[in-house]
Amino acid sequence: MSTTTLTRAGVPDLDYTPQAIPAPELPPEREKERVTYLNHAYGIFSWLFTLDHKRIAVLYLVVVSVFFVFGAFAVALVRTNLITPTGAILDLDQYNKAFTAHGTIMIFLFLIPVIPGVLGNFLVPMMVGAKDMAFPKLNLLSWYVYMAGAALFLYQLTVGGLDTGWTLYPPYSSKYSHTNLLYAGLGIFILGFSSILTGLNIIVTVHKMRCPGMTWSRVPLFIWSIYANSLIQILATPVLAVTVFMLAVEKVFGVGIFDPTLEGDPLLFQHMFWFYSHPAVYIMILPGMGVISEVIPCFSRRNIFGYKAVAWSSVGIAVIGFLVWGHHMFLAGQGLYLTMVFSLLTMLVAVPSAIKVFNWTATMYKGSITFEAPMIFAIGFLFLFTIGGLTGLHLGTTGADIHLHDTYFIIAHFHFTMVGGMVIAWMAGLHFWWPKITGRMYSDFWSRLAAVVTIVGFFLTFIPQFVLGYHGMPRRYPNYAPEFQMLNIMSTAGASILGLGYAIPAVYLTASLFTGRRAGGNPWRATGLEWQTPSPPPPSNFETTPVVYFAPYEYSLPNGLGLLAESGMVREANGQPAHTHPGVTTHHGS
Amino acid sequence: MAASATVEAPVAHHFDNLRQQQATIRFGMWVFLVTEVLFFAGVFVAYTAFRIWFPREFEAGSAVLNVGIATVNTFLLLTSSMTITLGIRACYVGDQAGLRRWLLATMILGAGFFLLKLREYQLDYQEGLVPSSATTRVVVPGSNPRAPEYREVPEFVVHYRAAAEHVGYDVEGVNLVRVQLFFIFYYAMTGLHMLHMTIGIGLLVWQVVLTSRGFFAYPQRYIYVEVMSLYWHFVDMVWIFLFPLLYLAGPHNWGQVIEGLRQAFTFGGH
Repeated sequence: MSTTTLTRAGVPDLDYTPQAIPAPELPPEREKERVTYLNHAYGIFSWLFTLDHKRIAVLYLVVVSVFFVFGAFAVALVRTNLITPTGAILDLDQYNKAFTAHGTIMIFLFLIPVIPGVLGNFLVPMMVGAKDMAFPKLNLLSWYVYMAGAALFLYQLTVGGLDTGWTLYPPYSSKYSHTNLLYAGLGIFILGFSSILTGLNIIVTVHKMRCPGMTWSRVPLFIWSIYANSLIQILATPVLAVTVFMLAVEKVFGVGIFDPTLEGDPLLFQHMFWFYSHPAVYIMILPGMGVISEVIPCFSRRNIFGYKAVAWSSVGIAVIGFLVWGHHMFLAGQGLYLTMVFSLLTMLVAVPSAIKVFNWTATMYKGSITFEAPMIFAIGFLFLFTIGGLTGLHLGTTGADIHLHDTYFIIAHFHFTMVGGMVIAWMAGLHFWWPKITGRMYSDFWSRLAAVVTIVGFFLTFIPQFVLGYHGMPRRYPNYAPEFQMLNIMSTAGASILGLGYAIPAVYLTASLFTGRRAGGNPWRATGLEWQTPSPPPPSNFETTPVVYFAPYEYSLPNGLGLLAESGMVREANGQPAHTHPGVTTHHGS
Repeated sequence: MAASATVEAPVAHHFDNLRQQQATIRFGMWVFLVTEVLFFAGVFVAYTAFRIWFPREFEAGSAVLNVGIATVNTFLLLTSSMTITLGIRACYVGDQAGLRRWLLATMILGAGFFLLKLREYQLDYQEGLVPSSATTRVVVPGSNPRAPEYREVPEFVVHYRAAAEHVGYDVEGVNLVRVQLFFIFYYAMTGLHMLHMTIGIGLLVWQVVLTSRGFFAYPQRYIYVEVMSLYWHFVDMVWIFLFPLLYLAGPHNWGQVIEGLRQAFTFGGH
């Protein structure tokens, strides 16, 4: 039991540690004997044919990290080229290919699958108290489908790359491009199915696999946001697939659907493309919001402020996100009234996003905040995402958009949401659940340093781009007016710092696998079900089916869930008080 | 566990009980069908947009389609939806022979649709109703027959004009080049539908094999037949939308229905 001390204000410093279901742990010297999902089978085939959602998550983690490096390398070329007004290292074609590679790889191969594929796969079954996803084989299949799509993408890079930008607008993509769209188009089509299958699996798991007592008002907010995200995935992605399909049909028959030189309608393509791709930017941010909703209560030791508001705002973003696609075409000739309606709806989508930010901030208010690496990332997220969101309102306003459209302002805006939002949230989530996934702690000092370096580097990279865009530097051009050079150099310098911020974690996270101290079941004293089992978890996640009697973020109760446990409110399925559960399986028995 | 008359089917390791497993499988298929609806919705939206812009051309395109084959196919597919439902019932009451019979019946009806549709594609191809950017040279009407003037015309237009003449459709005021757009949608939509039919027939074959292996000895496994039937009904539903949108957008009469069928079953008479 904890000792009660007095704080400076003379208030008893209660122990907020939730001690509900202490993860059954072995003494450190016997830790190696415990059967975990990592050591219950060995060999490459035990990984490639695994049906365990945790192992599939690790498979995703490996390949997604590789593609992040690819995408980062492509943008390193772009930023280096932009040091001089006439292009420092690349010729014009190479420049087009470099920024297209950056955009397509980062979006289709990294941002969309990263959190659903890695954290979603790993955490969704554990957070709802299930043994696995609803359809384990389908889960593995979606990884293979992802790999097939990724392979086609890589093949496209080897046969001359792609120079259309990630939006693939015809007639440029169908007629004037110097590259052949075939493999990348097929790759996008196939990657879409991977995304759909993952979303389907998550939706069914959340609906049907929740353990006893895990009501909809008790599921963690990560579940709510990844659920809303999956809704978008299954509803929007097929439309992209069929759009790419029609692009191919047009190419095969040579008759215009989208291509204006063949009497097709390019605006129709833009409508259909953005009907997917605007919701897709919420596919790229909602899971990140879920991570932040978990991290902030934990390191503030406070219950989330306004659980229902945060939960339903995820669904609100998913729904309204489907109604705003037209704001990408204000200047494409879609008609004044349509533009006004889309502008209004775009303002509306800011409301649920703002609800989230306000609630996270209110959660931190008077909390016992500590600044571990996940929390530094999460606070960085609050600032960066808010700036990204607010500048989105500038762009959603028709008048301002006429000035800012297709300039670096919009580049800065969506990098603030995609990188400042999603990538930072991904770093927060990776650092938060790394001990759970690997069972090891990483370096405290280096991780905090990396978080600060990342955020500082990010600001330096993208604040100058807001200024550049406001002064009229267009996106996607390799050359620019000489007066923009200073700001471009600043941006490139910031990008180098940002790159350093990504490189440091690669080193200490890898090192932690070999030298990190053992994390124990619940290093952050967090309340989620996934923390109530040892790290790394046993193959079936829980020794017995958990039963839930409480809301997800009971950080505010003195002694946390311990009191609930002692009062008998937390019990496992066999009716025994949870904390008396003795069972730990070992290789040798005992 | 108390002994009971019926043997419970084994439950997959990650489910708590059979009911949960069944509910999960059923819900999974419904979610998948939602995705499928959105997948087809994309082409339907594009079809609608272009039909609003080019109503005459869509009507003209539809007029030359083989409505006879499509009518029989509609009948086949609707019947197959009934037979598969009878299959669920057979499985549910433990009648494995009946299940096998109904699955085979569904498969035959589906295959009948499939083959007739292929035959229709073949006839369309023979008539040259395939959009393309290819052009051909035709004599300018009214030019001197001894030294004729030629003009480049899209091949499709020549073939389409012949087909329209054959069914007696008046093409006055129709942009014949634009009729190709209707055929783009015709091939894209029926092509996607055929792809789904292929998958559906594959699933039926798989379930017939499962039946032979005694997989459905547990009546509770009717759920697998049920979710497969959901998919089958969905493919059927898509056809119910495609039939009027593609075949009934233009004028047809019963004579054409019979003529179309006669064509379909006349081989080698060219």
